[in-house]
Amino acid sequence: MRILIADDSSMMRALIKRVVSLADVPVEDVLEAGNGAEALAILESREVQLLLTDINMPVMTGIELLRQLAADPRWRGLTRVVISTDGSSSRRDEVRGLDVLCYLEKPFSPEVMRDVLEEVARTARI
Amino acid sequence: MVGAQSAIGEIGGEVRRRIVGIGELVVSDLADEVIVTHALGSCVAVCLFDPKVKVAAMLHFMLPESRINVDRARQQPAAFADTGIPLLFQTAYRYGLEKRRAIVKLVGGAEITPAIDSAFRTGQRNALAAKQVLWRNGILVKTEDTGGNLARTVHLSVQDGRVRVFTGRNEVKEI
Repeated sequence: MRILIADDSSMMRALIKRVVSLADVPVEDVLEAGNGAEALAILESREVQLLLTDINMPVMTGIELLRQLAADPRWRGLTRVVISTDGSSSRRDEVRGLDVLCYLEKPFSPEVMRDVLEEVARTARI
Repeated sequence: MVGAQSAIGEIGGEVRRRIVGIGELVVSDLADEVIVTHALGSCVAVCLFDPKVKVAAMLHFMLPESRINVDRARQQPAAFADTGIPLLFQTAYRYGLEKRRAIVKLVGGAEITPAIDSAFRTGQRNALAAKQVLWRNGILVKTEDTGGNLARTVHLSVQDGRVRVFTGRNEVKEI
């Protein structure tokens, strides 16, 4: 499985990458984007099975990224997980209907992230 | 470390209990042994199991950081998370356990005496310290039964790595 992490914090991307490396999931490659626009560009050029995206990012937010993905049938097979400090119900409502499988709130323990990844790999069969 | 004691196992066969005292650790590769620690309060038991070589190990540590008592840490490194956990792994490696295969489970970290524990939160800090030491060493906890306000007794089977937690006379939880 190829994973794309979209987060403007390089530290957060490194943390997620480390958890991915320790989780029991079949990972071929982990790609990184600093915002939604970079994530879209990567998705256009590479085949990705799982997107882990932040919400608050410069240039293009995670919400805008998810909206564009939801509107385009080419990304139907892409599993989407939101990882955000904003766990408010209004934010969660905003992503509802945007084909998001799971909403993970920061800060999270590495174990919780691992459980989500393993669950995603099982349920999405990727 | 304490020597093995015999007991009758629940499935009828004889199992030998290896008791882990407070601030101690035990490693075993003998399938007829069960590693046991009693009455974990704010202390934490770190349980390891390598399913390939069937090596099991348990540490019963008391406090998160050795820096609060360097002399004690030198004499009894297993009393602290930051010195005990590395020692637990190093000892288990000698039995053939490998880090990448190790299944790690945590038990304990309760707050038994609220008046004291709420101020120091020793149980909570112990559980967190264990995870931090493991994380720094590239290890994630598989499952845990931590927190609450009940004392726990833990059995770790060397045969299959099964961890059973006893919190009362008939209360058993498998994690």
